[in-house]
Amino acid sequence: MIGLARVFSAIAIAMRAVLRNKLRAALTILGITIGIAAVVTMTALGDGARAKINGQITNLGSNALIVFPQSARASGARTTGGSKLSESDCQALERESTSIKAAVPFLRASAQVVYEGQNAKAEVIGSRIGYLKVRNWELQRGEPWTTSAENVSEKVAVIGAGTAKDLFGTADPVGRWIRIGRHPYRVLGVLEEKGPSPFGRSQDDVVLMPITTMRSHVRFTRPGETDAIMMSATSPETTDRAKKQAEEILRQRHRIREGDEDDFLIRSQAEFQQMQDNIYGVLSLLLVGIAAVSLVVGGIGVMNIMLVSVTERTREIGIRMAIGAREMDILVQFLVESLVLATLGGLVGTTIGYAAIVGLGAALDLPMKLAPQALAVALGTSTAIGLVFGFFPARRAARMDPVQALGRE
Amino acid sequence: MKDAPPIIEFVEIHKDYVTEAVVVRALRGVNLTIRKGEFVAIIGQSGSGKSTMMNIIGCLDRPTRGQYILDGIDVGARSNDARAIVRNHLIGFVFQGFNLLPRTTALENVELPLVYRGVAAAERRKRALASLSAVGLGARLHHTPNQLSGGQQQRVAIARALVTQPPLLLADEPTGNLDTRTSYEVLDLLQRLNREQGITIVLVTHERDIADCAGRVVEMRDGSVRRDIVNERPTDAGRALAELPVQDEHGATS
Repeated sequence: MIGLARVFSAIAIAMRAVLRNKLRAALTILGITIGIAAVVTMTALGDGARAKINGQITNLGSNALIVFPQSARASGARTTGGSKLSESDCQALERESTSIKAAVPFLRASAQVVYEGQNAKAEVIGSRIGYLKVRNWELQRGEPWTTSAENVSEKVAVIGAGTAKDLFGTADPVGRWIRIGRHPYRVLGVLEEKGPSPFGRSQDDVVLMPITTMRSHVRFTRPGETDAIMMSATSPETTDRAKKQAEEILRQRHRIREGDEDDFLIRSQAEFQQMQDNIYGVLSLLLVGIAAVSLVVGGIGVMNIMLVSVTERTREIGIRMAIGAREMDILVQFLVESLVLATLGGLVGTTIGYAAIVGLGAALDLPMKLAPQALAVALGTSTAIGLVFGFFPARRAARMDPVQALGRE
Repeated sequence: MKDAPPIIEFVEIHKDYVTEAVVVRALRGVNLTIRKGEFVAIIGQSGSGKSTMMNIIGCLDRPTRGQYILDGIDVGARSNDARAIVRNHLIGFVFQGFNLLPRTTALENVELPLVYRGVAAAERRKRALASLSAVGLGARLHHTPNQLSGGQQQRVAIARALVTQPPLLLADEPTGNLDTRTSYEVLDLLQRLNREQGITIVLVTHERDIADCAGRVVEMRDGSVRRDIVNERPTDAGRALAELPVQDEHGATS
């Protein structure tokens, strides 16, 4: 057992040894510094991205459900061909289910939108006017189209905030005519700004029009065909029931026999959220893995330098032993030295990581912050590295034979 | 002196070194008793076993066979840590190469044995200062070894050896790196420590002149004690110093 005074003097000795070789110390801790900086930054980046996505998902409405077509295996053969979902499915869903508030069709195309020489790429969506309610989208100006416009395939559109800005700048687009392909469409309204989707695609570069208009002028499909069906449950609590009912209704309408697979797939917003969480979980695991590798490399760097240091100071070790240092004294001296090095690396790394967080947060517009847990983990990890990788060199120093260490053979 | 209790007792001490299947018999059954207050010189050619003897007396090494009793303690078979404690409490070392810690001030070097004894900082400083002034080094306390002359470095080493007030001082070729004048200064200091404070001194050397300063000379050859004689009229290093031609104290090389 060594007293507190001896521990303090061991720390003082270690600090002096570290300060004596500043350049070497700096190079030694580089690995740990980079590793810790990476851990701190990555954790904050992952947390920031997740926080932002969660914000967007609540925006979409937690009671939203989407039906996708899915080629199903019927009697062993996989059926091919276009989507099996139709507008009459939508009407049936609305009519027959007690938990579905609205169900609208969804056609999609990519197109170039033109207004007086200004060009913009946009996603064209054809649907019923109920689409806005299902997606929880609001208009910032103008008004939606009417059901009669849907019936007569009127050339009208509601555009996203991004498209409006690209084509019109600060001018008011309502009442003006935009062109897609050869056809002009009158702008009825502009959507609220929504920001990028979880996967980075802008949700504001969009042109919304009646599905009938889209089918006659932009994307020519069979009558009634739809790429997907967007639904909203009557409330977030009834989402599961709505999903079940929709399944039954669609199986019946598509004449799917007992035991056969569905030819559609229903996903709720909650399931999307779950999927995204999983993706980000894997992503952050990967980042942490990379950081762990760099920390191990950093630790080996510390061990390497400590071994060099022990060899260089063999005579010093011999002198200390001759005048009464015990194995534990020498062990503690070198262990403290590697601890000081590693912790220093952790502190510098945390500082760099913090700077990176501030910089990246501003550049990417993410709510990034230094989490106290991340700080604790970073410093704890670097201390542990110092202990683990410093132990072997320190033990080698402590087990030296004083006669050999003094060069007295 | 004859009645004083023994401090070092060697009973049939053997030391064999095994190197690449060749056994080197460094010590071949040494019997030796040194009593408290003696000033003993161990003399011999290189290879005579005097360094091995020194390592064993200093508890730096263990005998292969035989019994070594230091100040009443059988230290031959003790663990590494136990021998470290014995070194710290009973022995002061003075080496040929001084063996001061580089880039460490004289004062800190002298304090070091007390650090390993767990003495508090203020007390350490006090005792180190006393020890340094006892060897005539009241100034230059904050100089590092490379800022000190050879004689001054050896004085710091002696101060470090004495700071724990050990009953035994082991000096291994303490004048080997020093010129004649400085050598006699160091020997004068050792003689006075032995005479005035009763510290037992064991001095290892290969020079007859140096050995003549001791009250007893043990001559080693081929791992055995060849002669063990009492020196009735040891050289008085202080007088020898006075008889040397006068020269600048710090002009001497070291």
